[in-house]
Amino acid sequence: MATPATQVDAGRWAFLRSQRMASIALLLPALAYLALMTQAPFVLTLWYGFHRWILTSPELGHAWIGLENFRYELTQDPIFRTAIKNTLEITASIVGGSLVIGLGLALLLNRTFPLRGVARSLMIAPFFVMPTVNAVVQKNLFLNPIFGLVNWFWTTLGFHRVDWLAVHPKFSIIAMAVWQWAPFMMLILLAGLQGISEEVREAARIDGAGPVTEFRRITLPLLGPYVELAVLLGMIYILQLFGEIFVATQGGPGTETTTIPYYVYQTISQANDVGTSSAQGVLAIVFSSIIAALLLRLLTRTFRKGLTA
Amino acid sequence: MSAVTPRVVVPSRPRVRPGAVGLNLLTYAVAFLVFFPVLWTLLTAFKKEADAAATPPKFFFQATLSNFSTVFDAGYFTYFKNTVILAGGSTVLALVLGLPAAYSLAFNPSKHTPKVLSWVLSTKMLPAVGALIPLVVIYKRVGLFDTRLGMILLYAAFNLPLVIWMMRSFFADLPKEILEASIVDGAGFFRIMTRIVLPLTAPGLAATALLSLIFSWNEFLLAVNLTAANSGTLPVFISGFQTSEGLFFAKMSAASTLAVAPVILAGWLAQRSLVRGLTFGAVK
Repeated sequence: MATPATQVDAGRWAFLRSQRMASIALLLPALAYLALMTQAPFVLTLWYGFHRWILTSPELGHAWIGLENFRYELTQDPIFRTAIKNTLEITASIVGGSLVIGLGLALLLNRTFPLRGVARSLMIAPFFVMPTVNAVVQKNLFLNPIFGLVNWFWTTLGFHRVDWLAVHPKFSIIAMAVWQWAPFMMLILLAGLQGISEEVREAARIDGAGPVTEFRRITLPLLGPYVELAVLLGMIYILQLFGEIFVATQGGPGTETTTIPYYVYQTISQANDVGTSSAQGVLAIVFSSIIAALLLRLLTRTFRKGLTA
Repeated sequence: MSAVTPRVVVPSRPRVRPGAVGLNLLTYAVAFLVFFPVLWTLLTAFKKEADAAATPPKFFFQATLSNFSTVFDAGYFTYFKNTVILAGGSTVLALVLGLPAAYSLAFNPSKHTPKVLSWVLSTKMLPAVGALIPLVVIYKRVGLFDTRLGMILLYAAFNLPLVIWMMRSFFADLPKEILEASIVDGAGFFRIMTRIVLPLTAPGLAATALLSLIFSWNEFLLAVNLTAANSGTLPVFISGFQTSEGLFFAKMSAASTLAVAPVILAGWLAQRSLVRGLTFGAVK
Protein backbone atom coordinates (compact mmCIF):
# COMPACT_ATOMS: atom_id res chain seq x y z
CA MET A 1 0.00 0.00 0.00
CA ALA A 2 2.78 2.43 -0.87
CA THR A 3 1.24 5.69 -1.98
CA PRO A 4 3.24 7.88 -4.34
CA ALA A 5 4.38 11.00 -2.52
CA THR A 6 3.05 13.38 -5.18
CA GLN A 7 -0.47 12.04 -4.77
CA VAL A 8 -0.40 12.64 -1.03
CA ASP A 9 0.79 16.20 -1.56
CA ALA A 10 -1.90 17.03 -4.09
CA GLY A 11 -4.54 15.65 -1.72
CA ARG A 12 -3.20 17.71 1.14
CA TRP A 13 -3.34 20.95 -0.82
CA ALA A 14 -6.91 20.38 -2.00
CA PHE A 15 -7.95 19.68 1.55
CA LEU A 16 -6.24 22.86 2.74
CA ARG A 17 -8.20 25.04 0.33
CA SER A 18 -11.54 23.72 1.50
CA GLN A 19 -10.15 23.83 5.03
CA ARG A 20 -9.54 27.59 4.73
CA MET A 21 -13.18 28.21 3.82
CA ALA A 22 -14.40 25.87 6.54
CA SER A 23 -12.26 27.57 9.16
CA ILE A 24 -13.65 30.98 8.22
CA ALA A 25 -17.18 29.61 8.39
CA LEU A 26 -16.50 28.29 11.90
CA LEU A 27 -14.99 31.57 13.06
CA LEU A 28 -17.34 34.10 11.52
CA PRO A 29 -20.52 33.61 13.57
CA ALA A 30 -18.67 34.22 16.83
CA LEU A 31 -16.90 37.31 15.51
CA ALA A 32 -20.08 38.76 14.02
CA TYR A 33 -21.95 38.18 17.26
CA LEU A 34 -19.21 39.83 19.30
CA ALA A 35 -19.14 42.83 16.98
CA LEU A 36 -22.92 43.23 17.12
CA MET A 37 -23.36 42.84 20.86
CA THR A 38 -20.24 44.53 22.19
CA GLN A 39 -18.86 46.87 19.53
CA ALA A 40 -22.06 48.32 18.11
CA PRO A 41 -23.11 49.67 21.53
CA PHE A 42 -19.77 51.46 21.88
CA VAL A 43 -20.29 53.18 18.55
CA LEU A 44 -23.79 54.18 19.60
CA THR A 45 -22.47 55.48 22.92
CA LEU A 46 -20.20 57.80 20.99
CA TRP A 47 -23.10 58.84 18.71
CA TYR A 48 -25.42 59.54 21.66
CA GLY A 49 -22.62 61.51 23.29
CA PHE A 50 -22.94 64.16 20.57
CA HIS A 51 -26.61 64.76 21.40
CA ARG A 52 -28.73 66.51 23.98
CA TRP A 53 -31.16 63.77 24.88
CA ILE A 54 -33.02 63.52 28.17
CA LEU A 55 -35.47 60.65 28.44
CA THR A 56 -37.85 62.48 30.76
CA SER A 57 -37.98 65.59 28.52
CA PRO A 58 -39.05 64.21 25.14
CA GLU A 59 -40.05 67.72 24.03
CA LEU A 60 -36.35 68.58 23.75
CA GLY A 61 -35.95 65.82 21.18
CA HIS A 62 -32.40 64.73 20.59
CA ALA A 63 -30.51 67.56 19.08
CA TRP A 64 -26.96 67.29 17.76
CA ILE A 65 -24.77 69.47 19.99
CA GLY A 66 -21.35 68.34 18.83
CA LEU A 67 -18.70 68.13 21.52
CA GLU A 68 -20.70 70.10 24.10
CA ASN A 69 -21.29 67.11 26.41
CA PHE A 70 -17.61 66.19 26.33
CA ARG A 71 -16.55 69.79 26.87
CA TYR A 72 -18.88 70.10 29.87
CA GLU A 73 -17.73 66.84 31.44
CA LEU A 74 -14.03 67.57 31.02
CA THR A 75 -13.97 71.25 31.93
CA GLN A 76 -17.03 72.10 33.99
CA ASP A 77 -18.66 69.16 35.74
CA PRO A 78 -17.05 69.10 39.22
CA ILE A 79 -18.52 65.69 40.04
CA PHE A 80 -16.97 64.08 36.99
CA ARG A 81 -13.57 65.34 38.05
CA THR A 82 -14.12 63.97 41.52
CA ALA A 83 -15.23 60.70 39.95
CA ILE A 84 -12.01 60.46 37.92
CA LYS A 85 -9.95 61.20 41.00
CA ASN A 86 -11.89 58.68 43.11
CA THR A 87 -11.69 56.01 40.41
CA LEU A 88 -7.93 56.38 40.13
CA GLU A 89 -7.41 56.46 43.90
CA ILE A 90 -9.68 53.53 44.60
CA THR A 91 -8.41 51.41 41.70
CA ALA A 92 -4.75 52.05 42.49
CA SER A 93 -5.26 51.29 46.18
CA ILE A 94 -7.15 48.08 45.50
CA VAL A 95 -4.63 46.88 42.92
CA GLY A 96 -1.70 47.77 45.18
CA GLY A 97 -3.25 46.34 48.34
CA SER A 98 -4.37 43.10 46.76
CA LEU A 99 -1.03 42.69 44.98
CA VAL A 100 0.93 42.94 48.23
CA ILE A 101 -1.44 40.69 50.17
CA GLY A 102 -1.72 38.31 47.20
CA LEU A 103 2.07 38.03 47.06
CA GLY A 104 2.12 37.22 50.77
CA LEU A 105 -0.53 34.52 50.31
CA ALA A 106 1.30 33.10 47.28
CA LEU A 107 4.59 32.92 49.19
CA LEU A 108 2.87 31.09 52.04
CA LEU A 109 1.33 28.60 49.61
CA ASN A 110 4.48 28.09 47.54
CA ARG A 111 5.84 25.46 49.91
CA THR A 112 5.09 21.82 50.50
CA PHE A 113 3.10 21.31 53.68
CA PRO A 114 0.18 19.16 54.82
CA LEU A 115 -3.33 20.33 53.78
CA ARG A 116 -1.90 22.71 51.19
CA GLY A 117 -4.90 22.11 48.91
CA VAL A 118 -7.35 23.00 51.66
CA ALA A 119 -5.47 26.19 52.52
CA ARG A 120 -5.42 27.19 48.84
CA SER A 121 -9.15 26.50 48.46
CA LEU A 122 -10.00 28.59 51.51
CA MET A 123 -7.83 31.45 50.26
CA ILE A 124 -9.40 31.63 46.80
CA ALA A 125 -13.00 31.53 48.05
CA PRO A 126 -13.44 35.33 48.36
CA PHE A 127 -12.89 35.75 44.64
CA PHE A 128 -16.11 33.85 43.88
CA VAL A 129 -18.31 35.83 46.27
CA MET A 130 -20.64 38.05 44.27
CA PRO A 131 -19.78 41.73 44.76
CA THR A 132 -23.23 42.63 46.08
CA VAL A 133 -23.06 39.88 48.72
CA ASN A 134 -19.56 41.03 49.66
CA ALA A 135 -20.82 44.58 50.15
CA VAL A 136 -24.05 43.66 51.96
CA VAL A 137 -22.27 41.28 54.34
CA GLN A 138 -19.32 43.57 55.06
CA LYS A 139 -21.58 46.55 55.52
CA ASN A 140 -23.91 44.85 57.98
CA LEU A 141 -22.13 41.98 59.70
CA PHE A 142 -18.70 43.56 59.83
CA LEU A 143 -18.79 47.35 59.50
CA ASN A 144 -22.13 48.17 61.14
CA PRO A 145 -21.26 50.74 63.80
CA ILE A 146 -23.31 49.06 66.56
CA PHE A 147 -23.59 45.36 65.75
CA GLY A 148 -20.59 44.90 63.47
CA LEU A 149 -17.81 42.46 64.25
CA VAL A 150 -15.09 44.96 63.39
CA ASN A 151 -16.22 47.45 66.01
CA TRP A 152 -16.60 44.70 68.59
CA PHE A 153 -12.96 43.82 67.96
CA TRP A 154 -11.96 47.50 67.80
CA THR A 155 -13.58 48.38 71.13
CA THR A 156 -12.16 45.21 72.71
CA LEU A 157 -8.75 46.61 71.82
CA GLY A 158 -9.74 49.73 73.75
CA PHE A 159 -10.57 52.10 70.88
CA HIS A 160 -13.77 54.07 70.39
CA ARG A 161 -16.53 52.89 68.09
CA VAL A 162 -16.13 54.04 64.48
CA ASP A 163 -18.84 54.34 61.84
CA TRP A 164 -16.46 53.00 59.22
CA LEU A 165 -18.57 53.57 56.11
CA ALA A 166 -19.44 57.13 57.14
CA VAL A 167 -16.02 58.22 58.39
CA HIS A 168 -13.72 56.17 56.16
CA PRO A 169 -15.90 55.34 53.14
CA LYS A 170 -13.04 55.04 50.66
CA PHE A 171 -10.98 52.90 52.94
CA SER A 172 -13.98 50.64 53.63
CA ILE A 173 -14.65 50.11 49.93
CA ILE A 174 -10.96 49.48 49.29
CA ALA A 175 -10.77 46.96 52.15
CA MET A 176 -13.83 45.09 50.84
CA ALA A 177 -12.43 44.88 47.35
CA VAL A 178 -8.94 43.94 48.48
CA TRP A 179 -10.43 40.95 50.31
CA GLN A 180 -12.02 39.95 47.03
CA TRP A 181 -9.07 40.62 44.71
CA ALA A 182 -6.10 39.44 46.77
CA PRO A 183 -6.93 35.80 45.84
CA PHE A 184 -6.91 36.77 42.15
CA MET A 185 -3.42 38.24 42.47
CA MET A 186 -2.37 35.27 44.60
CA LEU A 187 -3.37 32.77 41.89
CA ILE A 188 -1.38 34.49 39.15
CA LEU A 189 1.68 35.11 41.35
CA LEU A 190 1.60 31.53 42.67
CA ALA A 191 1.71 30.25 39.10
CA GLY A 192 4.74 32.48 38.56
CA LEU A 193 6.47 31.31 41.74
CA GLN A 194 5.97 27.69 40.75
CA GLY A 195 7.64 28.41 37.44
CA ILE A 196 10.91 29.40 39.13
CA SER A 197 13.11 26.32 39.02
CA GLU A 198 14.47 24.90 42.21
CA GLU A 199 17.90 24.74 40.54
CA VAL A 200 18.11 28.50 40.23
CA ARG A 201 17.24 28.89 43.90
CA GLU A 202 19.70 26.18 44.87
CA ALA A 203 22.45 27.91 42.89
CA ALA A 204 21.72 31.18 44.67
CA ARG A 205 21.82 29.46 48.05
CA ILE A 206 25.11 27.77 47.25
CA ASP A 207 26.48 31.21 46.35
CA GLY A 208 25.55 32.23 49.86
CA ALA A 209 22.27 34.07 49.31
CA GLY A 210 20.06 34.31 52.39
CA PRO A 211 16.25 34.18 52.14
CA VAL A 212 15.99 37.97 51.76
CA THR A 213 18.60 38.19 49.01
CA GLU A 214 17.05 35.18 47.30
CA PHE A 215 13.66 36.91 47.33
CA ARG A 216 15.01 40.25 46.08
CA ARG A 217 17.48 38.98 43.50
CA ILE A 218 15.81 35.78 42.25
CA THR A 219 12.11 35.65 43.08
CA LEU A 220 11.05 39.22 42.38
CA PRO A 221 12.84 39.66 39.02
CA LEU A 222 11.61 36.31 37.71
CA LEU A 223 8.13 37.15 38.94
CA GLY A 224 8.17 40.42 36.97
CA PRO A 225 6.04 39.42 33.98
CA TYR A 226 3.46 37.83 36.28
CA VAL A 227 3.24 40.97 38.40
CA GLU A 228 2.78 43.01 35.23
CA LEU A 229 0.01 40.69 34.03
CA ALA A 230 -1.71 40.64 37.42
CA VAL A 231 -1.61 44.43 37.73
CA LEU A 232 -2.92 45.14 34.22
CA LEU A 233 -5.68 42.52 34.36
CA GLY A 234 -6.60 43.62 37.86
CA MET A 235 -6.83 47.24 36.74
CA ILE A 236 -9.11 46.37 33.82
CA TYR A 237 -11.56 44.63 36.14
CA ILE A 238 -11.23 46.86 39.18
CA LEU A 239 -11.75 50.06 37.15
CA GLN A 240 -15.26 48.68 36.62
CA LEU A 241 -15.96 48.22 40.34
CA PHE A 242 -19.65 48.96 40.80
CA GLY A 243 -21.59 46.50 42.99
CA GLU A 244 -19.68 47.30 46.17
CA ILE A 245 -20.22 51.03 45.76
CA PHE A 246 -23.86 50.67 44.76
CA VAL A 247 -24.64 48.64 47.88
CA ALA A 248 -22.26 49.93 50.53
CA THR A 249 -22.05 53.69 50.00
CA GLN A 250 -24.09 54.69 46.94
CA GLY A 251 -21.24 56.91 45.97
CA GLY A 252 -21.38 58.79 49.24
CA PRO A 253 -21.21 60.28 51.70
CA GLY A 254 -21.51 63.23 49.33
CA THR A 255 -19.38 62.20 46.38
CA GLU A 256 -16.61 60.59 48.46
CA THR A 257 -16.88 57.23 46.70
CA THR A 258 -18.49 58.26 43.40
CA THR A 259 -16.48 56.51 40.70
CA ILE A 260 -16.91 56.82 36.93
CA PRO A 261 -19.08 53.69 36.57
CA TYR A 262 -21.26 54.79 39.48
CA TYR A 263 -21.57 58.35 38.15
CA VAL A 264 -22.62 57.07 34.73
CA TYR A 265 -25.23 54.91 36.45
CA GLN A 266 -26.50 57.94 38.39
CA THR A 267 -26.64 60.12 35.30
CA ILE A 268 -28.71 57.63 33.36
CA SER A 269 -30.93 56.21 36.10
CA GLN A 270 -31.57 59.36 38.13
CA ALA A 271 -31.13 62.22 35.67
CA ASN A 272 -32.26 60.10 32.67
CA ASP A 273 -29.69 62.03 30.68
CA VAL A 274 -28.68 59.85 27.71
CA GLY A 275 -26.38 62.43 26.10
CA THR A 276 -24.32 63.29 29.18
CA SER A 277 -24.09 59.73 30.47
CA SER A 278 -22.97 58.56 27.02
CA ALA A 279 -20.23 61.17 26.94
CA GLN A 280 -19.11 59.96 30.36
CA GLY A 281 -19.18 56.39 29.07
CA VAL A 282 -17.01 57.34 26.11
CA LEU A 283 -14.47 58.96 28.42
CA ALA A 284 -14.48 55.83 30.59
CA ILE A 285 -13.72 53.80 27.46
CA VAL A 286 -10.83 56.11 26.60
CA PHE A 287 -9.26 55.68 30.05
CA SER A 288 -9.65 51.90 29.96
CA SER A 289 -8.33 51.65 26.43
CA ILE A 290 -4.99 53.02 27.49
CA ILE A 291 -4.59 50.23 30.02
CA ALA A 292 -6.12 47.67 27.67
CA ALA A 293 -3.59 48.55 24.97
CA LEU A 294 -0.72 47.88 27.37
CA LEU A 295 -2.29 44.61 28.46
CA LEU A 296 -2.97 43.45 24.92
CA ARG A 297 0.63 44.04 23.98
CA LEU A 298 1.73 41.94 26.93
CA LEU A 299 -0.71 39.13 26.19
CA THR A 300 0.08 39.07 22.47
CA ARG A 301 3.73 38.79 23.39
CA THR A 302 3.08 35.74 25.56
CA PHE A 303 0.78 34.37 22.87
CA ARG A 304 3.50 34.66 20.21
CA LYS A 305 5.97 33.04 22.53
CA GLY A 306 3.50 30.23 23.05
CA LEU A 307 3.27 29.75 19.29
CA THR A 308 7.00 29.41 18.74
CA ALA A 309 7.72 27.38 21.86
CA MET B 1 28.89 14.74 37.59
CA SER B 2 30.01 12.55 34.69
CA ALA B 3 27.56 10.78 32.41
CA VAL B 4 28.49 7.36 33.78
CA THR B 5 27.50 8.18 37.34
CA PRO B 6 25.15 5.41 38.44
CA ARG B 7 21.65 6.63 39.15
CA VAL B 8 21.76 7.27 42.83
CA VAL B 9 18.39 8.07 44.26
CA VAL B 10 18.97 11.28 46.11
CA PRO B 11 16.21 11.97 48.59
CA SER B 12 14.88 15.26 47.23
CA ARG B 13 12.46 15.69 50.09
CA PRO B 14 12.72 19.24 51.42
CA ARG B 15 14.63 19.38 54.64
CA VAL B 16 12.41 20.33 57.53
CA ARG B 17 13.88 23.66 58.45
CA PRO B 18 13.42 25.19 61.84
CA GLY B 19 10.48 27.52 61.59
CA ALA B 20 8.69 25.44 58.94
CA VAL B 21 6.10 24.31 61.47
CA GLY B 22 5.58 27.89 62.57
CA LEU B 23 5.15 28.95 58.95
CA ASN B 24 2.62 26.15 58.43
CA LEU B 25 0.63 27.31 61.43
CA LEU B 26 0.77 30.90 60.14
CA THR B 27 -0.52 29.70 56.76
CA TYR B 28 -3.46 27.89 58.38
CA ALA B 29 -4.28 30.95 60.47
CA VAL B 30 -4.15 33.24 57.43
CA ALA B 31 -6.28 30.84 55.37
CA PHE B 32 -8.86 30.78 58.17
CA LEU B 33 -8.83 34.56 58.43
CA VAL B 34 -9.29 35.01 54.67
CA PHE B 35 -12.18 32.56 54.66
CA PHE B 36 -13.71 33.87 57.88
CA PRO B 37 -16.22 36.36 56.34
CA VAL B 38 -17.73 33.51 54.31
CA LEU B 39 -17.83 31.26 57.35
CA TRP B 40 -19.36 33.99 59.53
CA THR B 41 -22.09 34.62 56.94
CA LEU B 42 -22.84 30.89 56.87
CA LEU B 43 -23.06 30.75 60.68
CA THR B 44 -25.23 33.87 60.88
CA ALA B 45 -27.64 32.35 58.37
CA PHE B 46 -28.54 29.73 60.99
CA LYS B 47 -28.96 32.17 63.88
CA LYS B 48 -32.11 33.70 65.29
CA GLU B 49 -32.22 37.43 64.53
CA ALA B 50 -31.56 38.33 68.16
CA ASP B 51 -28.45 36.13 68.22
CA ALA B 52 -27.29 37.49 64.87
CA ALA B 53 -27.24 41.06 66.18
CA ALA B 54 -25.88 40.22 69.62
CA THR B 55 -22.88 42.06 71.01
CA PRO B 56 -20.52 40.52 71.88
CA PRO B 57 -21.00 38.22 68.91
CA LYS B 58 -22.26 34.74 69.63
CA PHE B 59 -20.05 31.93 68.39
CA PHE B 60 -22.30 29.25 69.93
CA PHE B 61 -26.06 29.41 69.45
CA GLN B 62 -29.16 27.38 68.83
CA ALA B 63 -29.41 26.80 65.09
CA THR B 64 -32.61 27.48 63.15
CA LEU B 65 -33.66 27.01 59.55
CA SER B 66 -36.39 29.63 59.72
CA ASN B 67 -34.31 32.31 57.92
CA PHE B 68 -34.13 30.17 54.82
CA SER B 69 -37.90 29.67 54.70
CA THR B 70 -38.46 33.41 55.23
CA VAL B 71 -36.10 34.19 52.37
CA PHE B 72 -37.91 31.76 50.09
CA ASP B 73 -41.23 33.40 51.01
CA ALA B 74 -39.74 36.76 50.00
CA GLY B 75 -39.58 35.67 46.37
CA TYR B 76 -36.04 34.35 46.51
CA PHE B 77 -36.85 31.41 44.29
CA THR B 78 -37.86 33.59 41.29
CA TYR B 79 -34.50 35.34 41.40
CA PHE B 80 -32.67 32.07 41.88
CA LYS B 81 -34.47 30.55 38.90
CA ASN B 82 -33.71 33.61 36.76
CA THR B 83 -30.05 33.44 37.72
CA VAL B 84 -29.80 29.74 36.83
CA ILE B 85 -31.54 30.29 33.49
CA LEU B 86 -29.47 33.36 32.57
CA ALA B 87 -26.15 31.84 33.62
CA GLY B 88 -26.94 28.47 32.01
CA GLY B 89 -28.46 29.88 28.83
CA SER B 90 -25.69 32.37 28.23
CA THR B 91 -23.00 29.76 28.87
CA VAL B 92 -24.58 27.36 26.37
CA LEU B 93 -24.85 30.10 23.75
CA ALA B 94 -21.27 31.23 24.36
CA LEU B 95 -20.06 27.64 23.93
CA VAL B 96 -22.11 27.07 20.77
CA LEU B 97 -20.57 30.16 19.18
CA GLY B 98 -17.17 29.97 20.82
CA LEU B 99 -16.16 26.32 20.39
CA PRO B 100 -16.15 26.37 16.56
CA ALA B 101 -14.25 29.65 16.64
CA ALA B 102 -11.68 28.26 19.07
CA TYR B 103 -11.34 25.15 16.91
CA SER B 104 -10.75 27.26 13.84
CA LEU B 105 -8.18 29.49 15.57
CA ALA B 106 -6.31 26.59 17.16
CA PHE B 107 -6.16 24.14 14.26
CA ASN B 108 -6.16 26.39 11.22
CA PRO B 109 -4.15 29.38 12.35
CA SER B 110 -3.41 31.95 9.68
CA LYS B 111 -1.30 35.07 9.72
CA HIS B 112 -4.38 36.95 10.95
CA THR B 113 -4.90 34.71 13.99
CA PRO B 114 -2.98 36.86 16.50
CA LYS B 115 -4.89 39.94 15.32
CA VAL B 116 -8.24 38.17 15.59
CA LEU B 117 -7.43 36.90 19.07
CA SER B 118 -6.25 40.29 20.15
CA TRP B 119 -9.46 41.91 18.88
CA VAL B 120 -11.61 39.28 20.61
CA LEU B 121 -9.84 40.02 23.85
CA SER B 122 -10.10 43.77 23.45
CA THR B 123 -13.92 43.49 23.48
CA LYS B 124 -13.60 42.12 27.02
CA MET B 125 -11.44 44.98 28.20
CA LEU B 126 -13.62 47.93 27.46
CA PRO B 127 -15.77 48.84 30.44
CA ALA B 128 -19.34 47.58 30.33
CA VAL B 129 -20.42 51.03 31.44
CA GLY B 130 -19.38 52.30 28.00
CA ALA B 131 -21.95 50.04 26.35
CA LEU B 132 -24.62 50.48 28.98
CA ILE B 133 -26.54 53.52 27.72
CA PRO B 134 -27.35 52.25 24.19
CA LEU B 135 -28.26 48.88 25.66
CA VAL B 136 -30.81 50.50 27.98
CA VAL B 137 -32.23 52.64 25.15
CA ILE B 138 -32.34 49.84 22.55
CA TYR B 139 -33.53 47.10 24.88
CA LYS B 140 -36.45 49.28 25.93
CA ARG B 141 -37.29 50.02 22.32
CA VAL B 142 -37.16 46.45 20.98
CA GLY B 143 -38.84 44.85 23.98
CA LEU B 144 -35.79 43.04 25.36
CA PHE B 145 -35.72 45.15 28.54
CA ASP B 146 -36.29 42.99 31.61
CA THR B 147 -36.44 39.76 29.62
CA ARG B 148 -34.40 36.62 30.22
CA LEU B 149 -33.66 36.35 26.51
CA GLY B 150 -32.16 39.84 26.43
CA MET B 151 -29.85 39.07 29.33
CA ILE B 152 -28.84 35.67 27.90
CA LEU B 153 -27.88 37.35 24.60
CA LEU B 154 -25.77 39.91 26.45
CA TYR B 155 -24.04 37.61 28.92
CA ALA B 156 -23.20 35.22 26.08
CA ALA B 157 -21.43 38.04 24.27
CA PHE B 158 -19.54 39.00 27.42
CA ASN B 159 -18.39 35.39 27.99
CA LEU B 160 -17.55 34.66 24.37
CA PRO B 161 -13.98 36.04 24.55
CA LEU B 162 -13.32 33.83 27.59
CA VAL B 163 -14.59 30.72 25.77
CA ILE B 164 -12.62 31.48 22.61
CA TRP B 165 -9.34 32.24 24.37
CA MET B 166 -9.49 29.49 26.95
CA MET B 167 -10.66 26.71 24.62
CA ARG B 168 -8.19 27.78 21.95
CA SER B 169 -5.39 27.36 24.46
CA PHE B 170 -6.67 23.90 25.48
CA PHE B 171 -7.09 22.83 21.83
CA ALA B 172 -3.61 24.06 20.94
CA ASP B 173 -2.18 21.79 23.64
CA LEU B 174 -3.51 18.66 21.89
CA PRO B 175 -0.99 16.58 19.95
CA LYS B 176 -1.34 17.51 16.29
CA GLU B 177 -0.92 13.88 15.07
CA ILE B 178 -4.27 12.79 16.49
CA LEU B 179 -6.08 15.46 14.50
CA GLU B 180 -4.17 14.99 11.31
CA ALA B 181 -4.96 11.27 11.37
CA SER B 182 -8.68 11.87 11.68
CA ILE B 183 -8.68 14.61 9.03
CA VAL B 184 -6.98 12.20 6.64
CA ASP B 185 -9.69 9.67 7.53
CA GLY B 186 -12.14 12.21 6.14
CA ALA B 187 -13.85 13.11 9.43
CA GLY B 188 -15.64 16.48 9.38
CA PHE B 189 -15.74 19.21 12.01
CA PHE B 190 -18.59 17.71 14.04
CA ARG B 191 -17.09 14.23 14.18
CA ILE B 192 -13.64 15.50 15.09
CA MET B 193 -15.11 17.84 17.69
CA THR B 194 -17.45 15.38 19.41
CA ARG B 195 -15.35 12.21 19.05
CA ILE B 196 -11.82 13.47 19.55
CA VAL B 197 -11.31 17.09 20.56
CA LEU B 198 -13.97 17.57 23.23
CA PRO B 199 -13.43 14.22 25.00
CA LEU B 200 -9.72 15.01 25.22
CA THR B 201 -10.26 18.52 26.55
CA ALA B 202 -13.23 17.71 28.78
CA PRO B 203 -11.67 19.08 32.00
CA GLY B 204 -10.81 22.31 30.22
CA LEU B 205 -14.29 22.56 28.76
CA ALA B 206 -15.80 22.02 32.21
CA ALA B 207 -13.59 24.71 33.72
CA THR B 208 -14.47 27.14 30.93
CA ALA B 209 -18.17 26.50 31.38
CA LEU B 210 -17.90 26.90 35.15
CA LEU B 211 -16.06 30.22 34.83
CA SER B 212 -18.63 31.48 32.36
CA LEU B 213 -21.41 30.41 34.76
CA ILE B 214 -19.69 32.18 37.64
CA PHE B 215 -19.25 35.47 35.77
CA SER B 216 -22.86 35.51 34.59
CA TRP B 217 -24.11 34.48 38.02
CA ASN B 218 -22.32 37.35 39.77
CA GLU B 219 -22.79 40.10 37.15
CA PHE B 220 -24.44 43.19 38.57
CA LEU B 221 -24.05 46.39 36.49
CA LEU B 222 -26.03 45.17 33.49
CA ALA B 223 -28.47 43.22 35.65
CA VAL B 224 -29.42 46.18 37.81
CA ASN B 225 -29.89 48.46 34.80
CA LEU B 226 -31.60 46.08 32.40
CA THR B 227 -33.80 43.91 34.59
CA ALA B 228 -36.75 44.46 36.89
CA ALA B 229 -39.37 42.13 38.31
CA ASN B 230 -39.37 39.61 35.45
CA SER B 231 -35.75 38.74 34.95
CA GLY B 232 -33.99 40.07 38.06
CA THR B 233 -31.04 37.99 39.25
CA LEU B 234 -29.65 37.18 42.69
CA PRO B 235 -27.14 40.04 42.78
CA VAL B 236 -30.07 42.41 42.26
CA PHE B 237 -32.14 40.65 44.94
CA ILE B 238 -29.25 40.81 47.41
CA SER B 239 -28.60 44.48 46.70
CA GLY B 240 -32.09 45.12 48.10
CA PHE B 241 -30.70 44.41 51.59
CA GLN B 242 -29.07 47.82 51.68
CA THR B 243 -30.60 49.64 54.56
CA SER B 244 -29.11 48.79 57.89
CA GLU B 245 -32.29 49.35 59.85
CA GLY B 246 -34.17 46.65 61.70
CA LEU B 247 -33.16 43.15 62.53
CA PHE B 248 -32.55 41.31 59.33
CA PHE B 249 -28.94 40.18 59.60
CA ALA B 250 -29.82 36.49 59.76
CA LYS B 251 -32.19 36.61 56.80
CA MET B 252 -29.68 38.63 54.81
CA SER B 253 -27.03 36.04 55.63
CA ALA B 254 -29.33 33.19 54.61
CA ALA B 255 -30.02 34.85 51.25
CA SER B 256 -26.30 35.56 50.80
CA THR B 257 -25.32 32.00 51.66
CA LEU B 258 -27.75 30.57 49.11
CA ALA B 259 -26.49 32.99 46.46
CA VAL B 260 -22.81 32.40 47.07
CA ALA B 261 -22.54 28.69 47.97
CA PRO B 262 -23.11 27.32 44.43
CA VAL B 263 -20.50 29.70 43.03
CA ILE B 264 -17.84 28.85 45.60
CA LEU B 265 -18.42 25.13 44.96
CA ALA B 266 -18.23 25.69 41.19
CA GLY B 267 -15.07 27.74 41.66
CA TRP B 268 -13.43 25.01 43.72
CA LEU B 269 -14.32 22.50 40.99
CA ALA B 270 -12.75 24.73 38.33
CA GLN B 271 -9.66 25.42 40.47
CA ARG B 272 -7.11 23.65 38.29
CA SER B 273 -7.84 25.73 35.21
CA LEU B 274 -8.72 28.89 37.06
CA VAL B 275 -5.47 30.73 36.38
CA ARG B 276 -5.63 29.90 32.69
CA GLY B 277 -9.17 31.24 32.55
CA LEU B 278 -8.42 34.43 34.47
CA THR B 279 -5.39 35.25 32.35
CA PHE B 280 -6.97 34.22 29.03
CA GLY B 281 -4.55 31.34 28.62
CA ALA B 282 -1.41 33.44 29.13
CA VAL B 283 -0.55 31.52 32.30
CA LYS B 284 -1.03 27.76 32.23
